[in-house]
Amino acid sequence: MSVDVLDSIAVAEPATGAFARAGVLRRLARDRVAAGAALTLSLIVLAALLAPWIAPYDPYFTDLTKAMQAPSAQHWFGTDNTGRDVLSRVIFGTRATLMLGLVGVIVGGLIGGALGIFAAYYRRLDGWIMRLVDVMLAFPAILIGLAVAAIFGAGLTAVVIALVVATVPDVARVARGAAVGVMGQEFMEAGRAVGVTDGALIWRYLTLNCISTIFVFLTLRFGQIILIGSALGFLGMGAQPPTAELGMMAAQGRDFLFMAPHIATIPSCAIFVIVLAANLLGDAFRDVLDPRLQT
Amino acid sequence: MGQQIVHRLLISFPALLGVLFLCFCLLQVVPADPAMIIAGPDAKAETIAAIRLELGLDRSIPVQFFEYIMRVLRGDLGRSIISNRMVSEELAMTIGPTVELMLGAMLIAVPSGLAFGTLAAVNRGRLADRVIMACSVAGVSMPVFFIGLILIQYVGFKWALLPFTGRTGPVWDGGLPSLILPATTLGLVLIGPIARLTRTAVLEVLGADFVRTARAKGLRETVVIVHHALRNAMIPVVTLIGLQAAFLLGGAVVTETMFSWPGVGRLAVGAIVSSDFPTAQGAIMILAIAFLSINLLVDVLYVYLDPRVARR
Repeated sequence: MSVDVLDSIAVAEPATGAFARAGVLRRLARDRVAAGAALTLSLIVLAALLAPWIAPYDPYFTDLTKAMQAPSAQHWFGTDNTGRDVLSRVIFGTRATLMLGLVGVIVGGLIGGALGIFAAYYRRLDGWIMRLVDVMLAFPAILIGLAVAAIFGAGLTAVVIALVVATVPDVARVARGAAVGVMGQEFMEAGRAVGVTDGALIWRYLTLNCISTIFVFLTLRFGQIILIGSALGFLGMGAQPPTAELGMMAAQGRDFLFMAPHIATIPSCAIFVIVLAANLLGDAFRDVLDPRLQT
Repeated sequence: MGQQIVHRLLISFPALLGVLFLCFCLLQVVPADPAMIIAGPDAKAETIAAIRLELGLDRSIPVQFFEYIMRVLRGDLGRSIISNRMVSEELAMTIGPTVELMLGAMLIAVPSGLAFGTLAAVNRGRLADRVIMACSVAGVSMPVFFIGLILIQYVGFKWALLPFTGRTGPVWDGGLPSLILPATTLGLVLIGPIARLTRTAVLEVLGADFVRTARAKGLRETVVIVHHALRNAMIPVVTLIGLQAAFLLGGAVVTETMFSWPGVGRLAVGAIVSSDFPTAQGAIMILAIAFLSINLLVDVLYVYLDPRVARR
């Protein structure tokens, strides 16, 4: 059944020490697609970080006399229905969208990774933790987003909670799979025999040997998480107007699709480019660091 | 096989309780005190207290939760605040269209995903493989609403080939044109992952001994690929389709909202936006239960396709 399959993909041998970082980078650079993806993604992240300085206009400044202009030299991506500069809004929107994805993946990765590793180390907890994970897996992320938005009101918090819940169970399974593999290694037994404490065994022996698998899995998930986040934004469960967030911008532009298609398509395109670059980079990381995570 | 299914049911039970609890919470956040609303603005404190007693609002949360489960089991999901109809009636009207949309999407995605994946595997490393894999990565990275926006703008509006708002009726009764665009939108996002996994699975199987045997005894290549390779490659693919059920469900919510498709997802979104908590609770519950059932179904199918699982 599905549980076993997920577990078995990730039963990894321990990565050989701390992976040689320079070697990884060199191998990534040789792969032209991966290098392009990495470059694109770094440019996007840089633009998002520097948003207040590089955005040509104020993303919230409305000017109805300039509403719905097509892309031009003054407004590279045109203006939206209230005359706001779409390029500036896309830059700020990217910032919000990336933040959502990062927070979701990092928080979800930490919780899920800890759950998986504890499940592998403390056999007593294994059944309980994995049951909990199964239950979490029973909630599709979009539904969690809808439910949380209904209970606490729509907003970025609702989306973050949904993204974390979407990340935790899968990461927990992959981490457990990797950790069970490491647990079977002789050095674990040796460590225990010489009296290494539980804490040190878990952190120095177990976690550090699982980290590259978890990291690769998270980079592979990052794109999907961004897609879920922007879908929730599109449904109106996330950022509320006037805040710029790419999914929500696409939803707002939908009402003007026939008069000014660029208002909706440009933010959608931006999401596509971010997710594509993230996916390509994730694939490349997997090929270099952990080919066993093939899906 | 029986054991597998029992195990799955055991997992489903706490998940179901979780779903119910979440939906119960949804009803607890109604901004105003229901007793106060029923009693009216200038009711005395005693009247409100009496109504609270009658509604059972004075009892502890676990007791109320238990009573809620009992009500749900009787099929009583409350009344919509907006339309004043029973939530169960509203759901009954929307389930059909949602199932129709999902089946339509699967009908588009599964055969083409299998075909593209197999084609890529057979032509491994050649141009066809690279093109299919590139399209598949692009497809996986595409937001559902982007595909929908493009289809609406061109096929629906500019070329005016197909309707793109609402549903004109069931498929068998002239509803097919209105189904095509939403189902294509939802189906297109699924082709990529299915094709990708089919490729991996077929490649793995193509190297197996029994495939060499099949070739050695002189079977035609198409027979080898379709009957020997693809059939065995189906096992991980079915699992993937099960894992994608969450994706399908989420995509359906977005697609329904975009195309004003009168399904459960649009009902849920509309209810949340208009703070219609009873309806939101009902719609979310149905979607979650549907998801649990799909997973159960996939596990059963999995045992059927790979009898080795049952013996483990």
